[in-house]
Parts: sequence; structure tokens; C-alpha cells
Amino acid sequence: MREVLLIARREYLERVQSRAFLMMTILFPLFIGLMVGGSFLAGKLSSGGKNIAIASNDPVLAREVAAEMQDASSRAKPPEVIAPAADAARATLNQRVEDKTLDGYLWLEKKPGSSMPDATFVSRSSGDVFSLGGMESALNHGIEREQLIHHGVSRAEIDAMTHQADIQTVQLRQGQLVPSNSLKSFFGAYAMMFLIYFTVVFYGMNVARSVVEEKTSRIFEVLLSTVRPQSLMAGKLLGVGAAGLTQMAIWLLLISAIVVTSAGALPGTAGLGGFGIHPQQLFFLVTYFLLGFFFYSAIAAAVGASVSSEQEIQQFSMVIVAPLTVGMVLITYITSNPTALPVVLLSLFPPCTPIVMFLRMSSQMPPAWEIALSMLLMLLFIWGAIWIASRIYRIGILMYGKRATLPEMLRWLRYS
Amino acid sequence: MPVVDLDRISKSYSSKAAVRELSLRIEKGTMFGLLGPNGAGKTSTIRMMVGMTLPDSGTVRLFDEPFRRDMLARISYLPEERGLYKRMKVIDQLIFMGQLHGLEASTAKARARQWCERMEITESMEKKTQELSKGMQQKIQFIATLLHDPELIIMDEPSSGLDPVNVSLLEQTLLELKGKGRTILFSTHRMEQVEKLCDAICLVDQGRAVLEGTMRAVKSRYPRDRVVVEYEGDASFLTDPSITELRESPGRAEFKLRNGANGQALLESATRHARIFKFELVEPSLEEIFIRTVGGRADA
Repeated sequence: MREVLLIARREYLERVQSRAFLMMTILFPLFIGLMVGGSFLAGKLSSGGKNIAIASNDPVLAREVAAEMQDASSRAKPPEVIAPAADAARATLNQRVEDKTLDGYLWLEKKPGSSMPDATFVSRSSGDVFSLGGMESALNHGIEREQLIHHGVSRAEIDAMTHQADIQTVQLRQGQLVPSNSLKSFFGAYAMMFLIYFTVVFYGMNVARSVVEEKTSRIFEVLLSTVRPQSLMAGKLLGVGAAGLTQMAIWLLLISAIVVTSAGALPGTAGLGGFGIHPQQLFFLVTYFLLGFFFYSAIAAAVGASVSSEQEIQQFSMVIVAPLTVGMVLITYITSNPTALPVVLLSLFPPCTPIVMFLRMSSQMPPAWEIALSMLLMLLFIWGAIWIASRIYRIGILMYGKRATLPEMLRWLRYS
Repeated sequence: MPVVDLDRISKSYSSKAAVRELSLRIEKGTMFGLLGPNGAGKTSTIRMMVGMTLPDSGTVRLFDEPFRRDMLARISYLPEERGLYKRMKVIDQLIFMGQLHGLEASTAKARARQWCERMEITESMEKKTQELSKGMQQKIQFIATLLHDPELIIMDEPSSGLDPVNVSLLEQTLLELKGKGRTILFSTHRMEQVEKLCDAICLVDQGRAVLEGTMRAVKSRYPRDRVVVEYEGDASFLTDPSITELRESPGRAEFKLRNGANGQALLESATRHARIFKFELVEPSLEEIFIRTVGGRADA
């Protein structure tokens, strides 16, 4: 055990103290921050700053459309209302658009005998689809309201009639009704998927690379004369894993700090709590993440032990993480049939367990024995993968320069 | 007490037999040379000795007991193909290796410092390995194997990559360790080094021990049929039909006597022609023995 910890410590320090680690740790959240900030800013610029006027010969219609537009984009400036507007006003408005004191105006002309007005939008740019779409829906709602008002319905009554309904989803858990949100469940599963996928591609491959590096620098031969290959592999997984987890912890802290501080600025996200991850789910998220991470890293280590150059690892990286995508492809099936036999079996199949089991949990808590079994199976698989990796490592590295064929590797497993 | 006792060990990889029924004993406090052409099975033998692989048959005994992994704390092994962590500082690397061999970090650090002074590389202790020359790295690997003060030191080609000054530093260190009762096994192609340092040897060829014993015993198995003559005057005695493989330099000749030739008669003939300062029947060098035994196969 002492040697495992010594090796883990060395691997951990070598990574954490490297310049690349520092760069990635700082640059990644910075990049995310820039993206989030950038899109936020862009959104603000495109919808907020426009000066729009609404001109109509029907003052009620103009006011209602303006109110609808104001409701639709809460950050936009209230449109200017010009009503009742005569034809002469058009020339003035055109002039203002050309002078850039106005970005555009919506001309609504109600013909006698017709309930529908003719609508024209005049602007300098050809008009983007989104603002036009928003404008159309605001116009339609405005026309409805205007017609109702003309039929003598009060504004309060109209508000009550046009109110949108929401469905509250509630989950029955162990006899208790718990508010749930299928979107949040999806979010949790997706987050899990990306966490594992991303870390496996990054750190799992890092394990594979460090195995190959030890092979090419021939340090393994010095190490193997004192340390068991299993200890070497286990130490490597722990050390590289801990470095990966450190980096992720820093990122998560930074990201949640950004989310929390910007919660006020971004409506709809009230910090991490807004994603509705409750403690039990968080526990399973962390547990299955760790199991998944070590599982795939152990396989990556075996790959590293059987190839002779870093380039070869790349070819394998996508194959290794392929089982993770199974859960993603079947996401709707799993969440709507969490107790179906294929789903249960898949959730107990270690390469798929982290994602499928987590997806099942987010729609319906599986029996405790299934959860326990899935964890046990994963631990067994991890142990097995480390065992195989260390065998291949020990024998494979004694013959370098070429990639081992599958029959050769099977033969190595039998060597003592 | 033999420190190493291999009894008819064999090892095959796929269809190739790397070591066949090889037996050897290394006595405590001696320096032992494991020789043989490339691919003879030297490294495979050593790997079984340190438990990196297990023999298919035969037994490995160390310190008079069957091999156990905990014995590794009393052994050090410097492989021929050796490396260091490139991005690690020399001193950290040495401490790490010392710790792996069971030392406390503080002890490992103190010993690493002493050894670095001894091997004249104190200025490199804080540098990263990748900044050092190959010879310098060799010295660090050498130190790393000795930090835990092992009783059995196994070195595969320890002097490759070292300049003559450092080779002599290494040899002195090995002799001192031997003087302190440590047992040393080294495998090399440098016959003159083996001749100078080793008490006993084992010559391996095609996985078998073809020659084994103390240096004296091994050499005495070969006839003293090589002659060195130092003379002044007429060199015509060198055309004698009993002489073969003649190598001449002014006033000096080295040759081999044909099978059954009489050295005494040749000396008499020589004294008639020239003034003889030296006429010595010398034993064959280890290199000659090596070449004679292994024959044309050796590419070492």
C-alpha cells in the first residue's frame, strides 16, 4: 500500500505542478466565462438597444401591440407609440430611420370594414428572423386583445383569459410526493455523461500516455525491480485521477461561483440550486462518476501498456468511450422505462452502469440491491482491468517497438 | 553462503527458449561477471533473479532462501535499458527511488546528498533530469540503485555511456562496496573490466551456462599457448613454423603456439638470434576465451 501511495503522490505532484495543468485550470473557466459572458452580452445588444416605433390609425391597436412587444422582451426599450397616425407621419418616420434616431417602425393601417390591419415594418437592415418572428406573435396577440376590447371585454378579463397554464410534475418516492422536473433529470444525466466522457478522454488518456512514457523512457524496468506492476498501475490511476479531480473541483468551484454571482443577471438560474440536484443524487453522481472514471482509466492503462507510441493511443480513445454513448442514445427509452429488463441489465453492465444507472435513478429509484450490485460489479471490473493492465504492462513492456497482437496479449495474461 | 543460487532455471517466451537449465552460484562478498553475446539470455536470467519474471522450471534462491518479494529491499537492480522521470528534479527522483526501496524520505534525502557529493554531481541535484547529459543521468541511476545500501547489487552494463574518468570512478565505488561485504553481479560486454574486477564469471550462450567458475579456474582450463616476447636484434626466429597469429611491433611480438608446439625449443632458437628481455607464456585473455567459446556467433 505504501508503494501505491508513493507512486500516486509522484504522479499527482508531477501533474499538478506542471505548467500545462496551471494553464488548463485557469484558461478553461476563463474560456467558459467568455462564452457565457459573450452570449449574454450579444443577447443584450441584439434585443435591448433597439428603438422601435409603432404607428397606427387605431390608437387601441397600437397600444396593445406595443404592450405585447414590451412583455415579450422584458429588456427591450418600450416601443414609441404614434397614434392616431396620418399618412404624413410616414415621411417623418422614414426620415428618423435614415437619421438613425430610430431603428425601425411598424406601420399598422386599419382599413374600414376589415378587422385585420395591413402591417409593414420599415428598417435600415433587412431585418433578422428572430425580431420579426417576435414581432409577428406580438402583433397577433395585440390584434386579439384589440378585437376583444372593441367587443367590450375589460383588460383584466382579457389577462385572465389569455393566461398560460403550467404543468407541475411531482414524483412519488417511497410514499412521499416530491416535486420533480424531468428537465432537471435530463440535465443531471447529461452532466454525468459529459463529466465522465470529458474526464476519460482527458485524464484516462493521460494515464495511457504516462504508461507509454514509462515504457519509452524505460523507467518501468527500474520500477518493476522493486514494485509490483499492480501497485504501479493502481498508484498511477490514483495519482492521475486525483490530479484530474483536483482540476475538476477547481473548475466546478469557479463555475458555481460564476453562476451564483451572475444568478441575478441571468434570470431563470438561481445558482446551482436551480438545477435541483438534491443531496442523495449528488452522492450517487459523485460515486458513479468516480467508479466510471477509474473503470475507464484502468482500461486506458491497459491500452497504454499494449501500444508503443502516443499516436496509437488516439486511435483507441474513441473506441474506449463508445459504451458511454449507449446510455445517451437510449436516454428517452431508459427514463420512460426505468424498470424494463434490458434497461436493468444495461445498468448492471459495468461499462454502461455510470450513465444508465444514473438515468434510471433520475426517473425512479431502483431497488437498493441493484444499486449495490452495480457498484460491486464495477469494483470487480476495475480490479480486473487493473490486473489485466498490469499483466500486459509487465510483459508487454519487455518487448517494445511493436504493438502487441490480441493473441499475444492473451498469451501474456497466462505468463507468470 | 551463496547470495545467489540458481538451480537449473529455464524460461521460454512464445516458442523461443531464452534460458535453458541455467545454474550458477554467487558467493557473498564477491564480484561476479555475467557474460555472453547479445541475446544469450543474460537479462532474462537477471529478471528471474529479481522476481520480475518467474522461471518456467528450476529454482531461484537468494540469501540461502527461496525467492520472496520482501527480499527486494536487500537487492538493487540497475537494468541495461534504464530511464528516469524526465520532468522530475534529480534530488526528488532520488528520494522517490529511495522511498520505493523502503527508506524514509529524510534518510533518502541525506543519503542522496552524500552520494551526489561522492559522484561529483552536487550542482545537478536541483536540475530536471531532461537538462542533464546522458553520462550524468547514468550516474544518477547508479546512485538510485545504491541509496538503500543493498546487500546484492545487480548491474546490467553499468558503464555504458560513461567516459573513462567516470568508468574508473564507478569501478572504484564497486570495489569499495565489495570491500564492505556487498555482493555484486554485473553483466557487461567489456571483457577487460570483468578481468580487472571479477572474482568469478559465468559465460552464457544461447540460454545455457557454457563456462562458469572463478576467474582463476576458468583461465586454467585454457592452455598457456600465447607468448609475449621482447627482444633486440634479429627477428628471424619469428618465422618458426610453430608460430601462428603473430602480432608484431618494434622489439615486441605476441603470438600463439600451434597445438603441441614446444615453447622451450622456440626460446632456445630465439636466444641464438637475438637478445631476449622477456619470453612469457601468458594465459589467454577473457576476450579470447569468450571468442573461442562463443565462436563466430558473438556480435558483442
